[in-house]
Amino acid sequence: MLVTEKKRNQPAGYAGALLRVDLTTGRLWEQPIDDEFARSYVGGTGMGARILYDEVGADVQWNDPENRLILATGPLAGTPTWGSGGLSVVTKGAITGGATSTQANGFFGANIKSSGFDGIVFQGRSDQWVYLYIHNGTAELRDASHLLGLDTWETQDHLYEELGLSGHQLSVYSIGPSGENLIRFAGIQGDYGHVASKNGCGAVMGSKRVKAVAIVRGNRGIYVADPRGVFRTADDIAYQMRTELPGQNFYLIGTLGGVTGLAPVGGLPIKNLTTNILPAEADMSKWEPMELREGFDHRGHQCNACGMHHCHMQVIRDGVHAGDVVDEPEYEGWVGAGWAWGCTDRTKVSWMNTQCDRAGVDVNEFGWVIGWVMECYEKEYLTRQDLGGIQAVWGDADAAYELLQMLCTRQGFGDVLAEGIKRAAEHLGGPAQDCAVYTMKGSSPRGHDHRALWPEMLDTCVSSTGTLESGGPTRPQELGLPATLQVQSPDDVPRQVALTLGRRHFEDSIGTCFFTTSTTIAAIAEAVSAVTGWNYTKDDAMYLGRRTAALMRAFNLRSGIGPELERPSARYGSTPVDGPAAGVSTAPHWDHMLDTWYELVEYDRESGRPLPELLDRLALPEVKAELWG
Amino acid sequence: MKVLHIEPEKCTGCLRCEVACSYVQSGEFNPSKSVIRVSAFERGHTSFSPYTCFQCAEGWCMTACPVEAIDISAVGAKEVQDDQCVGCKLCTLACPYGTIFYDPEREKAFKCNLCGGDPQCAHACPTQAITWIEDFTQDWTGAFAAQRSAADLARIGATNGR
Repeated sequence: MLVTEKKRNQPAGYAGALLRVDLTTGRLWEQPIDDEFARSYVGGTGMGARILYDEVGADVQWNDPENRLILATGPLAGTPTWGSGGLSVVTKGAITGGATSTQANGFFGANIKSSGFDGIVFQGRSDQWVYLYIHNGTAELRDASHLLGLDTWETQDHLYEELGLSGHQLSVYSIGPSGENLIRFAGIQGDYGHVASKNGCGAVMGSKRVKAVAIVRGNRGIYVADPRGVFRTADDIAYQMRTELPGQNFYLIGTLGGVTGLAPVGGLPIKNLTTNILPAEADMSKWEPMELREGFDHRGHQCNACGMHHCHMQVIRDGVHAGDVVDEPEYEGWVGAGWAWGCTDRTKVSWMNTQCDRAGVDVNEFGWVIGWVMECYEKEYLTRQDLGGIQAVWGDADAAYELLQMLCTRQGFGDVLAEGIKRAAEHLGGPAQDCAVYTMKGSSPRGHDHRALWPEMLDTCVSSTGTLESGGPTRPQELGLPATLQVQSPDDVPRQVALTLGRRHFEDSIGTCFFTTSTTIAAIAEAVSAVTGWNYTKDDAMYLGRRTAALMRAFNLRSGIGPELERPSARYGSTPVDGPAAGVSTAPHWDHMLDTWYELVEYDRESGRPLPELLDRLALPEVKAELWG
Repeated sequence: MKVLHIEPEKCTGCLRCEVACSYVQSGEFNPSKSVIRVSAFERGHTSFSPYTCFQCAEGWCMTACPVEAIDISAVGAKEVQDDQCVGCKLCTLACPYGTIFYDPEREKAFKCNLCGGDPQCAHACPTQAITWIEDFTQDWTGAFAAQRSAADLARIGATNGR
């Protein structure tokens, strides 16, 4: 057991140390966070990218003990800023074999800081299954053999009883059966419904034989530089979220507006992108955002210090699962656990979404996998016999649930599906492969039909994180973009993606949720200043973000992932055959969009390398030396 | 008289009240020093309630204190006078609601003093589960807690009987 002293001189806003865990030897130690490291890399994705770049070499594969799995929060975690329970996960991922940046919220950030750490860095591989227990500056690896096979919610239930705790006294971030069985799109789920799901970070955790991280809410305080400023900036951000678009939408109803909002522009994925026409049986009045909330018994289930009307729990009202408590799906859950494979029964979709969280799989990739299987079944590329007796008919939730069980345990064809959509499609090859939705890097898109939303398609393909890297600009003008963005313009799209690069990395480094910071970068930077005393600005924030992006890109180039992989699969990049975006296609514009994006982000178009001048400006001489000699 | 009014049905368990209160109590963000505490019911999935001293008329803590270190402040709060408190903890035993605490570092009892008439938990609460309004004071959470706990017990009973 590691027992640490209470710190006296940590940087303001920080617990002051990363918890290092070598699973091979069982050794635990503290890596102090000093002022310079904190100021340079802030936290979360920023710190994670630095550690990943420094410590994981080219020959280390995702499941190699030498891979690092970093779970970190940032300076705002545990303060009154809304959504300040943030977790960012960084590792070499199982899907792309490159860098990963994926987030969850809940109470991770608040609880781990109250117990004396700003993050955890795992390395090595344990002989036995373990869970990491953290409380008040102590840390211990404990036997987890009794937790094996439990889903993520059961794991937390079990640890509540074992440790005699309840509610938010204990945060548990765990892998489900999918992570134990090294399903390539397994994620890490915590605090009932918060999932860092991208790039197989759960498979990495499984490969290290770590079932869970259990963090007891401790009694170590967070000292901040300007407490009144912390309250003021938190209230300013909250005010902006309540009163100004686009944050106001998230404030009022979370992401529930997505289904009815995106359908009219062709942005809602239906049946594996085979159509954009709403199915006749879909009663869209039941998919209105307030209907999605009020159609279930529900209750707010907010993350640390959050005032958004976003995360909720709901209770299934009817059907075979009546009475089950589930996590209200995000927009992307409604899609991945339903629309993407033709299920439009919201009760079934809601239940399925939580089954994905419990199993610990990424609900986006689940949607693309199931959609692909169902399309292949319809076209007879896959038979009932291939699927072990499952009749994978479009929209059949029972079939989808059986497929989930099959892939989580790698039984039969589940062993192929467990490799993720790209590898499964390549396994079948031929016309079946042409039906699958993925990028050539191996990742799959989020729960939108990007054929109508080009910025996200470009972002997904050029990203170094295994998912969207730039994200939306939120307030376009502050990034030098026009207020209204054209999402199908070959000139505007790469500009938007390029000029936004860095914003998301900054948000993912400070320990909050990007939904709760859907306001100006300047306002968020001011909150960082109040906590840390740094006089942080929007330019500092974007500098950190661009620096993080450059580190991750250099890491990916080292891992053999270059520009040649930056394109969508046949189906993902296809032309919508019907619906609002019928006939529009990124294909004729793809090279032009890449050219423009590369020019604007200052990466070399041929090799993908960040240009030497950029690396000079970002003060990354070691990266310049590695990439340019 | 203004009182700290609590409506458990509105609480989402975000603990922002604890974060704010702990700053007033300790000068740091440290919920373990908060004198308002959010209790979870139903495994923390769907039921939470903030819980703090409702400044009961009986004043059990005040009655029990052997050195008369607990006064009633101008805004009606039972308030611990640090210079008189000897840290005997009798008040923490006497309080039937569990809302007066002992700080081992300072060796003093501590409890809600209504922030001198401007309670920060009420400011911090994003859902108005905690408000500072004119009302009669009462134990706001007892009935809620009893009902939710009964539901929990019934569920556990059902599981055991299965």
